Amino acid sequence: MTNAHPDTRPGPEARPQFEVRRPAAWITFTSLYALLVRSAATRGRLAAVGALSGLSIFTAVIAHASSPDDPFQAGVDFASANLVTLLPVAVLVFGAGTLGDLIDDGSLVYVWLKPVPTHLPVLAAWAATVTIVLPLVGLPVILSTAILDGDSGLLAGTALAVLVGALAYSALAVTAGIRFRRALPWGLMYILLWEGFAAGAGSTATRLAIRSYLRSILSQLADHPLHLADFTLASGILVPLAAGAAALLYATRRLAKTDIA
Amino acid sequence: MIEVDGVSRWFGDVVAVSDVSFSVGPGVTALLGPNGAGKSTLLRMLCGLTPPDRGTIRILGADPRTDLGVRGHISIVPQQEAMFEALDAFSFVRLNAVLHGIATPDDVARSALAVVELDPDDTRKVTSYSKGMKQRVKVAQALVNDPQVLMLDEPLTGLDPRQRRHMIDLFGRLGAEGRCVLVSSHVLDEVERFGSRVLVIAQGRLAATGDYRAIRDLMDDRPHRIRVRTDKPREIAASLLLHAGVLGTTIEPAKAGRPPAVVIDTTDAPTFRRAIAATAHSVDAQLWEVSPLDDDLESVFRYLVQP
Repeated sequence: MTNAHPDTRPGPEARPQFEVRRPAAWITFTSLYALLVRSAATRGRLAAVGALSGLSIFTAVIAHASSPDDPFQAGVDFASANLVTLLPVAVLVFGAGTLGDLIDDGSLVYVWLKPVPTHLPVLAAWAATVTIVLPLVGLPVILSTAILDGDSGLLAGTALAVLVGALAYSALAVTAGIRFRRALPWGLMYILLWEGFAAGAGSTATRLAIRSYLRSILSQLADHPLHLADFTLASGILVPLAAGAAALLYATRRLAKTDIA
Repeated sequence: MIEVDGVSRWFGDVVAVSDVSFSVGPGVTALLGPNGAGKSTLLRMLCGLTPPDRGTIRILGADPRTDLGVRGHISIVPQQEAMFEALDAFSFVRLNAVLHGIATPDDVARSALAVVELDPDDTRKVTSYSKGMKQRVKVAQALVNDPQVLMLDEPLTGLDPRQRRHMIDLFGRLGAEGRCVLVSSHVLDEVERFGSRVLVIAQGRLAATGDYRAIRDLMDDRPHRIRVRTDKPREIAASLLLHAGVLGTTIEPAKAGRPPAVVIDTTDAPTFRRAIAATAHSVDAQLWEVSPLDDDLESVFRYLVQP
């Protein structure tokens, strides 16, 4: 037995003694994407969010059966409500768990300790979230709007807003899953307090909420004014996508610095 | 292959690893220490999963935290059980091969599972596996990239005796092939079976390095503390103090229905054990209990880190 002491250390001139081996990016991406779709789409989440989507359709059917005075206005209101509540909540449920679950249970070690650039798992998580949410929530939102009114502008606005919203909110949700240990309550606070409450306070605050841009898309394409939703169509599309891209960039940097338990 | 220089890591006010330096070459090396000693934190730092707050780590000459290339030549068998819940064992091991850029992931995954004696055609998800089977899956995934440096955090946990023997043989073979195999354990007997060099870590510090036999000797040579419950503790204590090797005695009065006792510190436990019966007889005392208080690895670690 000897006391611990440092042995010979490599000097600054030391070079790696291994051959660099990296997988093709697209193979890595598709493998991670398939994994994250399967692991995020748990039965519980699918059932819970599917039930909410079903409830949206059911509510639209009931509203339609009650013969509203202005079906178009009812359709706009219904689409707007779904865009600012159902869509972000559903995206949060799936998006925060894609990488967040792996960080929480420590299984991210099997991804992290590979010669894989950090942006690939982040992009795969984002794509997985979008893939799950669009059919599970996006289609029901469009369908429930169509049940109330079949106006082509309204449906196009709803569809485009759903698409942009899914892309942007998914990026934010994936980022929240990486940044926060309890991403779901943090995300709900953001959706309810900021997007739902503070953003309605005035024109300045509303510029900092995704919902305002999604409602602007709906307003522009449906040709129907909505309160605090007067951005141009280009702004309505580009600003949320830019915010999502910035979030993914931050998520990549954050993941690279994360302690993997 | 592993170079660690002045590495420290703390979590808030808790110092998990404190100023640790060592180097490890090819072969099997055991990282030995009690639970909570800092073994897992050190292994995680060696893999780059956690950055050190101070000091430097080089694996194969590169920083595992920032150098993507070196990660292709490192593998870890982590302590936590969690794996990707949606996958079966073959898919899990195959995915690890794909992420390593292996050209033939199916073949490699099958081979790796065969090495740990698991069926690659078993379609059950890994979450339904027993703890021992999960442990073997984790070892299999660590083999897919033919790593030059393999780190295993308590890898024998949950394995039955036959599988333990199988794994110990496997680690020995990998070490003999020139790989650096670093195995953490808190069980000295396990380390003994690895027949390996040992890094002893206790309270976050590297307490000693050397051969496992030196630790085994240390267990026998260090001072021992033994409790003797008897009806005449003072007489026993006085008589034992005359024996060579007895450093001191402490009387424990009767408490909570337990009889009184003498606690003896001795440097010669075997001689003491032979003498205690004769001593009791000589003072006409009854012996109810003679038990070591520190005959475990934890006490060896405490002894090693004493200032």
